[in-house]
Amino acid sequence: MTKEELLSKLKTIITPYVQNEEGLNTLTENTDFIKDLEINSANLVDVVLDVEDEFDIEIDNESMEKMLTIKASIAVIEDKLASK
Amino acid sequence: MIGNDIVDLQLANTQSDWQRRGWVQKIFTIREQQYILASEKIELLIWKFWSMKEAAYKAHQRRFNLPSRYNPQSFRCTPKGEVYVDNYSYKTVTETQNEYVYTIAMGSDIDYRSSVYDKPMNIRSKLKETIIRKLNVDASLICLTKDSNGIPIVNINQTTMQLPISITHHGKYSAFVVSV
Repeated sequence: MTKEELLSKLKTIITPYVQNEEGLNTLTENTDFIKDLEINSANLVDVVLDVEDEFDIEIDNESMEKMLTIKASIAVIEDKLASK
Repeated sequence: MIGNDIVDLQLANTQSDWQRRGWVQKIFTIREQQYILASEKIELLIWKFWSMKEAAYKAHQRRFNLPSRYNPQSFRCTPKGEVYVDNYSYKTVTETQNEYVYTIAMGSDIDYRSSVYDKPMNIRSKLKETIIRKLNVDASLICLTKDSNGIPIVNINQTTMQLPISITHHGKYSAFVVSV
């Protein structure tokens, strides 16, 4: 899977939880889920569960800790896909 | 240091499906899950523990100037209101109403002022009024701003005061707490 495909899938996953639509239009690798997209912190766990379902991977607590930005989430997904 | 967190229960139950497979397991420790399952008001305890974790997270991050993390399981709640993280503990006070759950967490016993609002309003100006009354300083000298981590801080006469504050919003509710 290319990085673009991965980013596009991740964008689809986070969209329903985004409360600041403008942040979605200006999405970059550095976009922060809470600060820029205003995703409710209780919904971050839904993002993690959706990522697990979509990519058929398991995200442990240590990896989940990092999943606050697009960049960090992509790194976690790539890492888990590689060790599948 | 101090932290607070409010949960609008009506909104929480539309925003989050806590019965979703894996949801409770990702957020709560095994011990917390046992308390939750044994509770007569499962939903309420879920949001109470959640607000305790969030409030303690804020107090802990501020105390040690830590980077953001999504580690709700690292903050371990007890039914008596303590929250443990690493080798530290926080005392919490939770107010449970029909429509919201509100928690204040602190590293040690301190005096504080806190208010909850159920209508849209400028919470920063309310907080400012409280600080003015308490410290008896001129309004023009007080400036509420944010540090580089986005954490609210108080400047009095252009000097950063060590006055712990915390602000929280969810749904139609907002609240502040200030240690005075």
